[in-house]
Amino acid sequence: MSIRDVLSPFTAWKYLFRDPVTITDPLNERPGAARYRGFHQNDVQACIGCGTCETICQNAAIDMVPVEEILTESGDSGLRPRIDYGRCCWCALCVDICMTGSLTMSNEYKWVESDPDAFRFIPGVDKKHWDDAELGYRRPEGHRLTPARRVEMHELEPETRIGSFAEIVDGYSVADGLLEAERCVACGLCVATCPTHMSIPDYIAAVRDGDYERGLALLYETNPFSEVCGRVCTHKCETACAVQHEGEPVAIRWLKRHITDQVPYERYREIVGDPAPATGKRVAIIGAGPAGLTTAYDLARKGHEVVVHEERENPGGMPRYGIPEYRLPYDMIDRDVDLIRSLGVKIHCNSRVGTDVTMDQLQQEYDAVLLSIGLHLGRSTRIPGSEHQQVTKAVDLLRAITDGEEIEAPRQVVVIGGGNVAMDIARSMARLQKQQHGEVNLTVTALEDFAHFLADPEEVKECGEEGIEILDARGPQGIMLDENENLIGLKTWHVVSIFDEQGRFAPSYDESDEQIHQGDMVIEAIGQMTDVSLLSEELTEKLEWNRGRLAVDVDGRTSESWLWAAGDCVKGPDVVHAVADGHRAANSIDSYLKEKTV
Amino acid sequence: MQTLYTKLKQLFKLGELTEQRQDLAFITVAQEQLRPLLLHLRDREGFTHLVLLTAVDWMEEGQFQLTYLLNDRAGARDIGLRVMLPRDSATMDSIHDIWPTAATYQRELREMFGIGFPDSPGVNDEFILEGWNDIPPYRRDFDTLKYSEENYSHRPDRETTDPAQHMKQQLYPDEG
Repeated sequence: MSIRDVLSPFTAWKYLFRDPVTITDPLNERPGAARYRGFHQNDVQACIGCGTCETICQNAAIDMVPVEEILTESGDSGLRPRIDYGRCCWCALCVDICMTGSLTMSNEYKWVESDPDAFRFIPGVDKKHWDDAELGYRRPEGHRLTPARRVEMHELEPETRIGSFAEIVDGYSVADGLLEAERCVACGLCVATCPTHMSIPDYIAAVRDGDYERGLALLYETNPFSEVCGRVCTHKCETACAVQHEGEPVAIRWLKRHITDQVPYERYREIVGDPAPATGKRVAIIGAGPAGLTTAYDLARKGHEVVVHEERENPGGMPRYGIPEYRLPYDMIDRDVDLIRSLGVKIHCNSRVGTDVTMDQLQQEYDAVLLSIGLHLGRSTRIPGSEHQQVTKAVDLLRAITDGEEIEAPRQVVVIGGGNVAMDIARSMARLQKQQHGEVNLTVTALEDFAHFLADPEEVKECGEEGIEILDARGPQGIMLDENENLIGLKTWHVVSIFDEQGRFAPSYDESDEQIHQGDMVIEAIGQMTDVSLLSEELTEKLEWNRGRLAVDVDGRTSESWLWAAGDCVKGPDVVHAVADGHRAANSIDSYLKEKTV
Repeated sequence: MQTLYTKLKQLFKLGELTEQRQDLAFITVAQEQLRPLLLHLRDREGFTHLVLLTAVDWMEEGQFQLTYLLNDRAGARDIGLRVMLPRDSATMDSIHDIWPTAATYQRELREMFGIGFPDSPGVNDEFILEGWNDIPPYRRDFDTLKYSEENYSHRPDRETTDPAQHMKQQLYPDEG
C-alpha cells in the first residue's frame, strides 16, 4: 500500500464546508429543471381560442371547449383548450405554435389521482397549483414556427406614381402568394369579423394548393365584388387574424386579389355557374353599387328577373365614382359588374328614378324593389364663406374625375377632412397638380389628431410620400377671401376635443392657436348623405325614418312590405358591408317572393 | 479548426467546413471517406471520444444525413462529420470496431430511421419500440397523428368545437 492510498481519502474532507450540489431531500423536493416541459399553463385572457394547439397536437390530446366566463367576440372564439393527459406526450408543439404565447408549461411534473378523467383539464380555467409557477418551458425568444412578417407587397415608387393614376399595388407573384398563404394557420377567427363571412381559410388553402379556380369559386360564393374587395376592402378580417398577436396579420386582402389575378377572366363565368331556372318573379333595384348589385347577383342566381336602374353613366357606385383609379382601376369594377350582367341582370344606366321612372311605376311592375342609392351628396362644413364657388365637395370632384371631365387643378389646395375620402381627393388632386403644374402643393386639415385618425395608416403614409401635408387636430373656422372675393385660404383653430362629455359631436377649440392655410381652392371631405329626393313626397311620408336614414329591419326591409334598402344609405360607407347587406336583402326578398308564390 | 481542416484536406476529399462555434465545426464527407477519416482523427488528432451518432431525414431531397460527433478532450473541441445517404434502402458501414458504443447508436438508428448497419452487433434487436408494426417513426413520412389515433383509444365523451363554427353559432347564427 502506498502512502498516497492512505492519504487520499482525507482529501475529501476539503468538501466538508462547501455548499452541497446535491438535493437535500430528494424524495420530497425535486423541482423540474428551469425549462422542464411539465404540466400546461394557459393565460386564458391572452388566449384567443384559435385552436392551433389542437390542430398541431400529434396525439389528438387537445379539445377546444366553450368556457363560461369567456365571451365569444371578434378575434376570440371564446373556446379554450382542454388537454387529455392520457394522450399528451409533452412534446410542447402546442406551446411552440401558440399564436399568442399564452400556452406554456410549468416545471411541475407530479400529479397523482385515481380517476383517469381528472387528467383532462382546461389549463388556466381548472385551477391548478402550478398555474403561477415561474419556471418551465416557454417558447424561446425568436423561435417561431410561422414567419412573423408578411411578404412585402411591391408598389410603384412615389415619384413614379404621383405623375399618373396608374394602379399603385403590384399584386403578389405566385411564389410570394404561396409564402404569404403559408403564414395562415387556418384557425378561421377572421370569418366572423368579415361582414360577408367569406371562407377565408378555405380560399387561402386553395392558394397553398395552387388551385386558384377552387379559390375563385369560394370568393364569388360570398362576394361578387371580389376584384374590388381584393384591392380596397377595409379588411377588418385582418384585425381578427391570430398571427397579429406576435407578428403582422396575414395579408388576407392581397391573397384575395392574388386569386383573382391568377384565374383568367374568361373562366369566371363557368366557375360561378349558371343561374337557377327562371321563377317568373321580377325585382327592381335602384342604384348599381355593391349593395344593389350583390342583391341582383344573388337573386339572379336564384332565377329571379332583376332590373337595375342607375342614375350615372356607368355601374359600380362608390367604388367607381368615389375610389380613385390608382387604388381601383375601372376595368376591375367592369369585370365584377359584367359577371353579374352575364347572369341575366339588366342594368339601365343614365336612368334616374323619380325622373325617368317613378317609384310608383316600379312598385306596380315588380314584385319587390330595393333602394341601394348610397351616399352621394357631400356634406358641407357651413363655415363662413363655404358657399364660395372655389369651395367644392370631395364626392363631386371624385365623380368628375371618373367621368373624365376637364379639371383645372389649382396650384394650391386645402382639403378639410381626415377620413379615406379626404385622402382620396387629396391624392387625386395631387396627381392633377403634378400633371398640370409639375409640383404638388396640397394641405389636408383634419379634425382628429393622429392618435385618433380616421383614414387608414397606409393612406396617411402614402400621402406623406406623395408630398401632401397633413395637419391634424385643426378645426375649420372660415374661408379667407381677398378684397376681390377671390379665395385665398382657410382659417383653422387647434382642436382641443371633438366630443363632449355625453359623447356628442361638439368640437372645442383653442382660439389662440390660429393658422391660415393658403390655397386657391378648399375641398370639403367631411362626410356624405343620401339623396332621397327620388322618393315621392307621399312615399317619404309613409316610410319610417331613423335620424334621417331610412329605418329598416335586420334584413333590410323598410316599413313598406314591397321595399327594401341596403348598403351605404342605411349602413354607412364601406364596400364589404354593402356586399353583406346586399346578401341579407336578397335572402329576405327571396323568402318574400317564395311566400308570394304559395 | 481552420488549421485542422486545411491539414485534413491534404489527406482526404472533404466537403465544406461549417464553423458553428470556435470549438465546434462540421465537415461533410463522402461515405467511403468516413472510416479512414475517423481513424485518422482518433489516432492522430486526439478525437478519442464518440459523443453521438444521429440522423436527419431530408425527405424532400431523398437523403438521410448521418452526423458523427467526435470530441477532442485535450483540445476541448468537437468536430461533426456529416455523411449523406440515399434515403431508399439506406445502409452504412458499421464503426463499432472503432468505438464499441457506436453499436448502440446504430441499433437506435436502424429502429427509428430504418438505416441499416450490417455486421453491427445486435443491430436488429428491438431498442425501445417493442412490437413496432409501422414504418420507422423518425422518418418524416411517418404520420404520428394517424398512428396515435389508430393505436390509442380516446376517453369516452370527448368533444371538440371548431372555432369558426362556434363563432358563427354565437355571433351570426342566421346568416350565410
